Amino acid sequence: MILAVRPPAAFPPLRAARFFMLRRLDSLSPEIPRPFSLYRQVGDELQFLIKVMGRGTRALAATQPGESLRLIGPLGNGWPTLTPGSVPWVMLGGGIGSAPFFELIRQARAGMDGGAPVPADQLTFLYGGAHAGFLYDIEAFEALGVRVVACTDDGSRGFRGNVLQALEAEWDAGRLPREVRLLACGPERMLEATGKLAAARGLECWLSLESLMGCGVGICNGCPVATRPDGPLGAWTNAKCCVEGPVFEGRAIDLEAPV
Amino acid sequence: MADLAVRLASLELRNPLLSASGTFGHGLEMQYLSPPERLGGLVSKTVSLLPRPGNKNPRIFETEAGFLNSIGLENRGIESYLASTLPEVATADCVIFTNIGGEREADFVELARILDERDEVDALELNLSCPNVQGGKLPFGTDPKTAESVLREVRKVTKKPLFAKLSPNVTRISDMARAVEAGGADGVTAVNTLLGMAVDWRKRAWRLATKQGGYSGVGIKPVALRCAWECAQAVDIPVIGCGGIRSAEDVLEYLAVGCTAVQVGTASFSDPALLGRLAGEVSELLDAAGIDSVCELIDCMERPLPASV
Ligand SMILES: Cc1cc2nc3c(=O)[nH]c(=O)nc-3n(C[C@H](O)[C@H](O)[C@H](O)COP(=O)(O)OP(=O)(O)OC[C@H]3O[C@@H](n4cnc5c(N)ncnc54)[C@H](O)[C@@H]3O)c2cc1C
Ligand SMILES: Cc1cc2nc3c(=O)[nH]c(=O)nc-3n(C[C@H](O)[C@H](O)[C@H](O)COP(=O)(O)O)c2cc1C
Ligand code: FES
Repeated sequence: MILAVRPPAAFPPLRAARFFMLRRLDSLSPEIPRPFSLYRQVGDELQFLIKVMGRGTRALAATQPGESLRLIGPLGNGWPTLTPGSVPWVMLGGGIGSAPFFELIRQARAGMDGGAPVPADQLTFLYGGAHAGFLYDIEAFEALGVRVVACTDDGSRGFRGNVLQALEAEWDAGRLPREVRLLACGPERMLEATGKLAAARGLECWLSLESLMGCGVGICNGCPVATRPDGPLGAWTNAKCCVEGPVFEGRAIDLEAPV
Repeated sequence: MADLAVRLASLELRNPLLSASGTFGHGLEMQYLSPPERLGGLVSKTVSLLPRPGNKNPRIFETEAGFLNSIGLENRGIESYLASTLPEVATADCVIFTNIGGEREADFVELARILDERDEVDALELNLSCPNVQGGKLPFGTDPKTAESVLREVRKVTKKPLFAKLSPNVTRISDMARAVEAGGADGVTAVNTLLGMAVDWRKRAWRLATKQGGYSGVGIKPVALRCAWECAQAVDIPVIGCGGIRSAEDVLEYLAVGCTAVQVGTASFSDPALLGRLAGEVSELLDAAGIDSVCELIDCMERPLPASV
């Protein structure tokens, strides 16, 4: 479902993968707002791509046009700046984890932070889901003019297999050089595997995590992500996903550690 | 505009609204959403002597009518608090409470001794009640004798106002309130979280990694209100009410049963700007009721109704 929200004052262009906390104002929504990535920014409108999971997302899905919502944000850091160069960018989106990639592709194509645009042939989006029904809004991604590879576990659309198997297939077919820069968002197991692959191959890698969040603004300590003691985040054992993330460099965090 | 100022022990508060420990960051994280100059005071997250990495994930779970947490007092320890947090917090235009916690009496004494030297700290709140340490065993300080002794020893090393934050997970909270008063506390905070639990029976999974955690938020309000009232009845020192507050109505209910100030916790997760708005909303309610000063409402339940009502 796509939820379009018009804030009281328009936001300047927001970096992709920043997020907002959202809830209805009535008691249909749980008390605690839920985090959602910015999907698209169209004029002064913010759009969210939402998959119904439980009470919070169900309540948002029942919103009627014209209703007011509580919107807290923009929050978090967002993706790094994508620059053109000899090493292409490969984006891995699992299911609803595709949401933070739409604006990223648009922003990279236009040039981020006032820098040079990234040519379309340096951007590849591997979009995976259990079956075709989990590739939300894939036509919109395909319309962005970069290579989009649909991957489904059951082969109901595109490549049969997950996004990492699709990446291997791209490599084997020579469609991508061995050295790529990885950006991933999706289920935890997919992110864990992506981090491992990047470490094994010495690839740069950024992961956008979807941890549970109690506040989204850094005051509850409910969203810890285990850090690597020798990594760029310093010696403290965990980082707050909401303020230090949701995007982390692969080498900064330890997804296998039992936080 | 009704007068919202209250006197809490020796502290002058611009209004009776405080943040609750562990729900508003350590320092000034919320200064833009809920500016300190609109609050009576800021209460830090519990600071311990040594750094504590906290508990494992998942640490939070929202229930039908409240919030379970098992953060485990994650904090970087007193040294880091003094070096990085306190200098920043000191710039806030409101009363500063540092909440301290430990597993032994000596920890509290040492923390109080260290903080006594810091003028930026206006008052100490002693967390005698966190359910999330020591692997779910009954927290240190839920026994009246231990609590009295901690207060007595801490009193010896500091002149700063001392507030004892009590646990609702006891048979008679009034005994605890009397014990900390006897030990030399200047006030009581009632209450910390209720011990709680949630499970997913389909997956046979505990919702919190620690199985049990602290229950807070809207669902605990009747319990917390009763605890605050019981404390106010039992002691002569002021009581800070805490538990499930999310509106100006809630604030005034706590004052009516005898609290001098209140703390807002979980409601800040739902709306981080709430605390900054509450003073205005309390003031509007008082104006509408024809009450000039919030102090008139404190402990008013058994007093005759004013002629205006
Ligand atoms: C930074 C960030 C960005 C996000 N962006 C989006 C987005 O763009 N679109 C979108 O649909 N969702 C997004 N999510 C996930 C979304 O927040 C959760 O799906 C939502 O909180 C579920 O709430 P609920 O009340 O509907 O479900 P609940 O009743 O709370 O939970 C239902 C089920 O979902 C699982 N769940 C709950 N929260 C999460 C979570 N954070 N991640 C994974 N599983 C969860 C629970 O374990 C449970 O099995 C994002 C999360 C984060 C942290
Ligand atoms: C996530 C979370 C963390 C907390 N951390 C602390 C803490 O470090 N020290 C403390 O004394 N109380 C802590 N508390 C308890 C609150 O300060 C408060 O007493 C309790 O939540 C009840 O108030 P509420 O219903 O308004 O949240 C915490 C509560 C929550 C929800
Ligand atoms: S969600 Fe509360 S600190 Fe990150």
